[in-house]
Amino acid sequence: MAIEIVKKSYLFGRGWKSWTPVLLLLPGFGLYMLIGFGPSLATAIYSFTDATGVRGAPINWIGLENYDEFLFRGLASRDNLAALQRTLIFMVVVTTVQFSLGLLLALLLNQQLRGRTFFRTLFFLPVVLGVVIQGLMWKLFLFPGGGPVAEVFGAFGIQSEFLGGAPNEAFVWVMVVQIWANVGITMVIFLAGMQTIDETLYEAARIDGAGGWALFRDITWPQLTPAINTNFLLNIVGSLQAWQLFLVLIGYRPGTQVLGYLVFAEGFGQTTGSVSGAFRQGYAAAASIVLFFLVLILGLSANWIVQYRERKYLG
Amino acid sequence: MTAQTTDQAARVVEQPRKPFPWGKVVSYGILVAFSLLYIGPLFMLINASFKPLADFFKDPTGLAASVNFDNYTKAWELANFPRYLLNSAFYTAVATTVFVLTSVFVAFPIARGIVKGSGALLTLYVVALFLPAALIPQFQLILNIGLYNTRTGYILLFLVNAIGMIILVNYIKSIPRELDESAAVDGCGYFRFVWSIVLPLIRPAVATVTVLHAIFIWNELILPTIYLTEDSLYPITRGLIVFEGQYGSDWPALAAAVLMLMLPMLILFMFLQRYIIGGLTSGAVKG
Repeated sequence: MAIEIVKKSYLFGRGWKSWTPVLLLLPGFGLYMLIGFGPSLATAIYSFTDATGVRGAPINWIGLENYDEFLFRGLASRDNLAALQRTLIFMVVVTTVQFSLGLLLALLLNQQLRGRTFFRTLFFLPVVLGVVIQGLMWKLFLFPGGGPVAEVFGAFGIQSEFLGGAPNEAFVWVMVVQIWANVGITMVIFLAGMQTIDETLYEAARIDGAGGWALFRDITWPQLTPAINTNFLLNIVGSLQAWQLFLVLIGYRPGTQVLGYLVFAEGFGQTTGSVSGAFRQGYAAAASIVLFFLVLILGLSANWIVQYRERKYLG
Repeated sequence: MTAQTTDQAARVVEQPRKPFPWGKVVSYGILVAFSLLYIGPLFMLINASFKPLADFFKDPTGLAASVNFDNYTKAWELANFPRYLLNSAFYTAVATTVFVLTSVFVAFPIARGIVKGSGALLTLYVVALFLPAALIPQFQLILNIGLYNTRTGYILLFLVNAIGMIILVNYIKSIPRELDESAAVDGCGYFRFVWSIVLPLIRPAVATVTVLHAIFIWNELILPTIYLTEDSLYPITRGLIVFEGQYGSDWPALAAAVLMLMLPMLILFMFLQRYIIGGLTSGAVKG
């Protein structure tokens, strides 16, 4: 046979029989190329065109036009850069809080406590419920006209419109819900990491008279390196790409958008909050690529920090 | 004898009393305080769903005067929730089945290195986390092959899941290779081997991937917003958002709708928690 795709070590027959694994692999792999990987890469190509969402409409190559408009032209570009900045703020705040809170909860739940399964299940629950239910639950919880949070804030003399308030205020509440919804994942990854730590390490250190903080600093933190790395990377990349809670909680409001939402809104004509605007898919693809570079740069930096930590702790 | 007993008694007395467990009290304090943020919204939802609309606006936080299910029947009648539920179940079942079955036959040869360039193939799945969203080219594709606003087109979008594939590959790697050899010696064919020997052995991973993928489809909001414009095709996520748009000021009815529609997920979660958490943490802590 001219082309050998299957390796010589293949056990289940020679000749035409050795094509079976390739034929069986093709449907799954083909689908991934067609619907997942291929379209992801093709985003770069579309970003150089004036594609719309109309079937059969001509698509023209317009070079860097979309990028020029997105980053440098007029008021819109200033909004876009503000959205970029907001995406970074969102990433820093969500990553920091979700990481620390997840670690704290995991440390607490890694003890012999009655009811730890209950707490773990409770904190993990929103992950399973999905953005729509997470969002609607918090809209009700943050009901400004006498909802529970409004009552508590009122007791301290704070009046707030929460999600309907000033853009910055609404933005903060979306971050709160984002962390609330996803801290469970961070927590269970930390817990799984803690369960792999050898208990005898702690016993030996305790005999040497080590206290709680020393145990954490010298055993838990270095031994937890793989889980720390995973959470760090997942939190950074995840928060840069997250935007769906914005859609459910506040919709497309000026002064609150992050890049991910911008891509969706421009690409599918939702800039006015309902399907009525133009589908500017080439332009949205360019925004998508800008976001991709952000993810790439920050993801690679995070990865570099992670590697550095591994060399330091695991040799 | 007497001296010995006194000695023993003295030792019992001398033993230091257990110190007050401050650590545990503080731990419980933090956990209980934090859990209020989770029980609170849930309780608010349940409480609101039992209130007549007028009562809700008079005092949103106060306890419902009675447990009555008027809002539930009202929500059920206002929107086509049975249809949405059926749609969600259909999309989830079909897409998950097709995805899992096709994936096993991709994961096995990659894990075993049967095809050349297996490592490179796996990399194509690993980098998916960082790549730009496939949103726009995907839309152009579905639009131009004429599957926009159809069940087939919508299901097509859910036949891939890079993380699921990675979980399957990692799990298959833990199955001993000797098994392949003895099966091959016995004259077992490739398909029969993967189908009737490997598949049962990797059941835990298949269960995890099935559950994770099903949750992902069930909860998806953006894709139905983009691809489905007909009410009769909506899954529950889209249905709920449309319901909110129409009757959003009727909070008790909305709360009832949310509760009814989160019930399936809640039940599933209670039974399958092990697989869900296992899947999310697999490979995350091995370094």
